[in-house]
Amino acid sequence: MFLVFAAILFSIGLYGILTTNSALISLMCVELMLNSANINFITFAAYSTDGIASTTGQIFVIFTIAVAAAEVAVGIALVLNAYKERKTTNTTDLTTMRW
Amino acid sequence: MKMIELAFLNDTFGTMLAIMPEIMLIIGALSIPGLFYFTKNKNMCATAALIAIILSGVFAGCVILDSTLSCTFMNIFKLDMFAAVMIFLFLIVAFLTVLASFASSELSNHVSEYYSLLLIATTGMLFVASANNLLVIFVGVECTSILSYALVALKKNDPRSSEAAVKYLIIGGISSGLVLYGISMLYGLTGSIDIAKIAHGLENMENLNAPFVIAVISLIAGYGFKISAVPFHMWAPDAYEGAATPVSMFLSTGSKKMGFVVLFKIFIVMFAVEQSVYAVEEMRYIFAFIATITMTIGNIVAILQKNIKRMLAYSSIAQAGYILIALAVMSEYAVTGGIFHMITHVFMKGGAFIVVGALIAAGIKENISDYKGLAKRAPIVAFAMLLFLFSLAGIPPLAGFASKFVLFSSAIVIDGVVRTQWMWLAIIAIINSAISLYYYAKVVKVMYIDSGECNEKIVIKKSHLVAILLCMVFVVAIGVYPEPIIKFCEGASGILFGKC
Repeated sequence: MFLVFAAILFSIGLYGILTTNSALISLMCVELMLNSANINFITFAAYSTDGIASTTGQIFVIFTIAVAAAEVAVGIALVLNAYKERKTTNTTDLTTMRW
Repeated sequence: MKMIELAFLNDTFGTMLAIMPEIMLIIGALSIPGLFYFTKNKNMCATAALIAIILSGVFAGCVILDSTLSCTFMNIFKLDMFAAVMIFLFLIVAFLTVLASFASSELSNHVSEYYSLLLIATTGMLFVASANNLLVIFVGVECTSILSYALVALKKNDPRSSEAAVKYLIIGGISSGLVLYGISMLYGLTGSIDIAKIAHGLENMENLNAPFVIAVISLIAGYGFKISAVPFHMWAPDAYEGAATPVSMFLSTGSKKMGFVVLFKIFIVMFAVEQSVYAVEEMRYIFAFIATITMTIGNIVAILQKNIKRMLAYSSIAQAGYILIALAVMSEYAVTGGIFHMITHVFMKGGAFIVVGALIAAGIKENISDYKGLAKRAPIVAFAMLLFLFSLAGIPPLAGFASKFVLFSSAIVIDGVVRTQWMWLAIIAIINSAISLYYYAKVVKVMYIDSGECNEKIVIKKSHLVAILLCMVFVVAIGVYPEPIIKFCEGASGILFGKC
């Protein structure tokens, strides 16, 4: 049940990144993908009968949340930087370099 | 393999010895901004970074010299021969990058932040090298990637830099999402994130189930982004072209090797050593297929490039294809070749990027046509570039030949017998080397045969010259006398295959 929910969330995230034009929405979709994996971890931890294995999953989620926060902090700074230089956050306009 | 008795180090540092290299780098990274605040001296920061790297290298070097020192820290870090060789490799990359940034004209005024970010990114790589655990691998890879996004964007006032950073960020985000999903599946299957325990848990798996397939595919795709294997390579040329040259060098020689370390750990230690995990054979064919298209597309697209950094980026993609042969063949000899090629790649590709950076600092632009008549204007640098490019193409007396020889022959001779299973892979790789000679020779032709408009001598800064000479010495020395390095690589791959 929860695993299906996580899989759907993951698919929405991946689909969003592949189709959107906005760099900010891409960042949100990355968050969705990371969080779907977090739900997986928590589900497996909750259904685990082994105490140590269960704690491992929960600790992994805490680390992932920290990593995701760092990624978004750096990411938004970079998008802002690109906006300052190019006056756009649209990924389809970032075409100075190709091939 | 034991050369010197260094057991007293175990008594002094205990289990902390396993993370001493990382601790040294973190101390350096944290003290550099303070140092800059009080002294306002850019060279002081670079010197502090060099000292931190050397101190860290001393600890890794001790383990290389005395392999009995291997020790674990809380069961998540293990400093063994493989980890030590890789740590040494990453530290050499960081050392060369700092030397190349000393006199670089492309970095903005944020010097202390730059060195600090560089050292922490290196720390992430070291964590990955000595990790024993998927959590540490994930966090280490993210540590390096997130800081490299920032490093790519650090070249201010260049729209290409910010554009490259956004592209790298989004693609890196997809990669980390995929990897995390794959790890969660493996955790669900085995209830553990320890590499050895997962390997043990998968042994009991009877048939191929969907979570395992999802995990394998998303791990290959996620770390395929990191090593810029085709079809996950599109960020690499942009990031290398947009970033300041020392950063491009750091990405192409350092962060790509980190992806390979992870792939070696996951796919060899976790899936292959037990030889009982279902679908290992299929995985090897996936890697063989990726290796083929990676080297072919990398080499063919490199021919079309006019910007030298972009050309080097595509050639670096092709080199990743060569190293992937090790994962397809999966014999101990092949992994030795893979590690050996990773080491020589640092010196030849790193050297080529340093030359480009030195020329940019001297006022020459990045297009290949700007290098006309370089042999007369800067004979030493032009000769160094010639050596690095020929070494990348695999011309005999140089390092690239030795490592390519070990790597390609491992696809033909498996366990001492000539087998036909992977021979086609070696043949494709050799054809690709021949193709790559074309575009390397084109640069050499522009430098040596075409005459330029201007004949003034180019003055190269001392620190660049030191870095270039260092790379030149290693490229020639490893090519002429590769035995000692091969011995270390054999020790490292022996650890991966569970022998000591």
